[in-house]
Amino acid sequence: MSSKALPANLSEETVRTISDERDEPEWLLEARLDALESLESLDLPDVIQTPGRRWTNLEALDFEELVDPLNAADTTERVTAEGVEVLSFTEALDSHEEVVEEAFGSTIAPDTNYLTALSAALFTTGTLIYVPEDVDAEDVKIRAEMNSKSLFSHTLVVTEKSSSVTILEAIESGESDVEGERYFSNLVEIVAGENSYVQYGSLQNLDENTYTYSLKRGDAGVYSTINWIEGNLGSRLTRSDIETELNGDSSETKIVGAFFGHNDQHLDVNARVWHKAEHTTADLVTRGVLDDEARSVYEGVQDVGRDAWDTNSYQRENTLMLSDESEADASPKLIINNHDTEASHAATVGQVDKEDLFYMLSRSIPERTARNMLVEGFFVPVLDEIEVDEFREDLQELISARLD
Amino acid sequence: MSSDQDHLKETDTEARFEFKKEQKSSFQADKGLTEETIRVISEDKDEPEWMLQRRLRALKQYQKMPMPTDWPGQPDLSEVDVDEIVPYIRPDVETRGGVDDWTDLPDDIKDTFDKLGIPEAEKNALSGVGAQYESEVVYQNMQEQWEEKGVVFCNMDKAVQEHEDLVKEYFMTKCVPPSDNKFAALHGAIWSGGSFVYVPEDVTVEMPIQAYFRMNSEGMGQFEHTLIIAEEGSEVHYIEGCSAPKYSAFNLHSGGVEVFVGEDAHVQYSTVQNWSKNTYNLNTKRAIVEKNGRMEWISGSMGSKATMLYPASILKGRGASDNHITIAFAGEGQNIDTGAKVYHNAPNTKSTIESKSISKDGGRTNYRGLVHIANGATNSSTSVECDALMFDNESTSDTMPYMEINESTVDVAHEATVGKIGDEDVFYLQSRGLDDDDAKQMIVSGFIEPITEELPIEYAVELNRLVELEMEGSLG
Repeated sequence: MSSKALPANLSEETVRTISDERDEPEWLLEARLDALESLESLDLPDVIQTPGRRWTNLEALDFEELVDPLNAADTTERVTAEGVEVLSFTEALDSHEEVVEEAFGSTIAPDTNYLTALSAALFTTGTLIYVPEDVDAEDVKIRAEMNSKSLFSHTLVVTEKSSSVTILEAIESGESDVEGERYFSNLVEIVAGENSYVQYGSLQNLDENTYTYSLKRGDAGVYSTINWIEGNLGSRLTRSDIETELNGDSSETKIVGAFFGHNDQHLDVNARVWHKAEHTTADLVTRGVLDDEARSVYEGVQDVGRDAWDTNSYQRENTLMLSDESEADASPKLIINNHDTEASHAATVGQVDKEDLFYMLSRSIPERTARNMLVEGFFVPVLDEIEVDEFREDLQELISARLD
Repeated sequence: MSSDQDHLKETDTEARFEFKKEQKSSFQADKGLTEETIRVISEDKDEPEWMLQRRLRALKQYQKMPMPTDWPGQPDLSEVDVDEIVPYIRPDVETRGGVDDWTDLPDDIKDTFDKLGIPEAEKNALSGVGAQYESEVVYQNMQEQWEEKGVVFCNMDKAVQEHEDLVKEYFMTKCVPPSDNKFAALHGAIWSGGSFVYVPEDVTVEMPIQAYFRMNSEGMGQFEHTLIIAEEGSEVHYIEGCSAPKYSAFNLHSGGVEVFVGEDAHVQYSTVQNWSKNTYNLNTKRAIVEKNGRMEWISGSMGSKATMLYPASILKGRGASDNHITIAFAGEGQNIDTGAKVYHNAPNTKSTIESKSISKDGGRTNYRGLVHIANGATNSSTSVECDALMFDNESTSDTMPYMEINESTVDVAHEATVGKIGDEDVFYLQSRGLDDDDAKQMIVSGFIEPITEELPIEYAVELNRLVELEMEGSLG
């Protein structure tokens, strides 16, 4: 695929203005300018292509039309917990510059692809969550509203040795007079220190004029655990990649995803894990429901490196189709370079189980109600993983609302 | 094991594949691929004008298409330089289209097939046998009882002459057009030899028909074409075997297989591939299955340096079904990239894919599969199961399935596992007095049993012996 030209409204001047307005240190400005420069040689994220079918068409996005770099606006509410620093990106640069400098771009290099570089050059919002050694923090919350044509957010989570934290991030569209199509970009980097624990839950419910790109990647240290929970209900098109690199011996990860598409939504959700050290464990669980003309694309990758002795790696993906017009593409991949591995994956696509439905009808539950109950039940394995109660309730509510 | 298989025991399997004959031929094309080469081949075969035109069109397509290089994890094809291979060698046999008596063959060729055990197998278990040496079929015979029922089994070049209408209609038109991929285009330009099988309505060919393909010369390419037409209600089992001695230069095998499964017909296509480990095996195999027809692809890929092969079934008629069973064994220096493709284009269609792969001593196996359920293919179901066994840390095993589901009233399931050979299983067998190697061999035999039990006993025995040899690491 050829790289894209630079949008006309994007210049070094734009990037300098963004950086100046935030009074940023020189290293960050340099990083932004490098990212801007690299744009021309970068490609969009990889998309699966089989004979006659391109699973997601990112090329159709017109960034000149979608991106309005100097008018970014968001309202973000941050709820902290005891012992943990939850700071906006600009505040973090003031008080924890070293932490930010070390973590920024350490797991997602800005030149990973065109969209990550665009984010590095243009991001205006984001959060640093810093958990010092031995601190156990619960229920950190970030609730963001997007109020502009385009918004780029970059979030960093750094957990020091033997700390733990549970995080909820929710994003929706605020009330604003922006017309036409919009673009939201969300990058999250987690650096999990030795023996630390992170659960990062994310709920995306943007309006259906918005195109969303989200890349979340964690670097798991020795004995650490990174658990991701991702709910995608909003946006016209969502491209979401959740990835963990198991770099430390005995590190673990769970990537749990739920999506529910309706109308003509397109959901391209991906979960990837790289086993790079010994005794690592991964569990990937994705459950999705499609109604109307919604379409889903799923790629799951379990990559076991040559040095990843004693690996356990599991992956399950289940898609439920409620409508004849919906479409589901799935590709669960195993790439195994070390034989001392126990790996499996399973994927299914189907409808609501007829026998289950019949049983409920025989208990005189109306058909529609019965189906809805079964759909809600279908999401239970995902809901059960969520540790932040508020997140679970929000997700449950959004699911029931969509079923009515 | 009955005495029927004694002939398989007599000769050492390794010696049976790994021998070379002096290169003798009556006609050999120049290296490389030009319009001139193709005209010469076509003329040497005395082909009708339309076939020459098809070849030339395919050549143009071949020249236009890029080499596949960007598939994730695919074998390295940079060594495959078509200009370096000899595309066509006509062996030194008097009768064009092959003889029907082994004793009429020149001694060296007869000796080759004797060593491979083909004439023996013909006596015991087969309805018909074809044998291809280099680019041409040298032997072809079928039992009279089938001929009387109107079954045709002849070499492809002969079919162009004698069954021109059928060949013209079906040859690389509806099933595998040359534009399908670069190697299908190459095949379309320089194909030679192969089998033509025609089974009339309601005829069941009870014993399998077999074709054996042997490349003897260094640096040659073999491009045989197989066309099977099974009419309504008919049934046939076609088996192909392949081998070649090992040379330092690379050999290229790029076959084309087209199968037409009529209404209520049943075709089983089995392959035991044991090309030498300097061979690039890049094939296109596809079946079109009509209403309630059934297609079965059984394949064992043991040989070759690199294989890229994904037998495909297009389930075109309501109630059509497909069954894929594949086993891949990659040893040192081998990259076996294989899988299955199924297109569900009609309601009530069914497919099952079962894949087993073993990688050892740095070998790479990759399952690459595609299941596509088209809009309107209601009540279709598919189930895919891939299991991989890895022997050591130098080896690689990848699984890359793709599922495209455009219909909601379907049942789609995919499952895959990868693991090493179970220490506990080995320990149990050792406690019963087996040594480590025998225990592992036995576990592997059990692992591939679902495949071997689908094959006639001769082939099952053969496959097991090949696996044993691979396990010992002694195959060349």
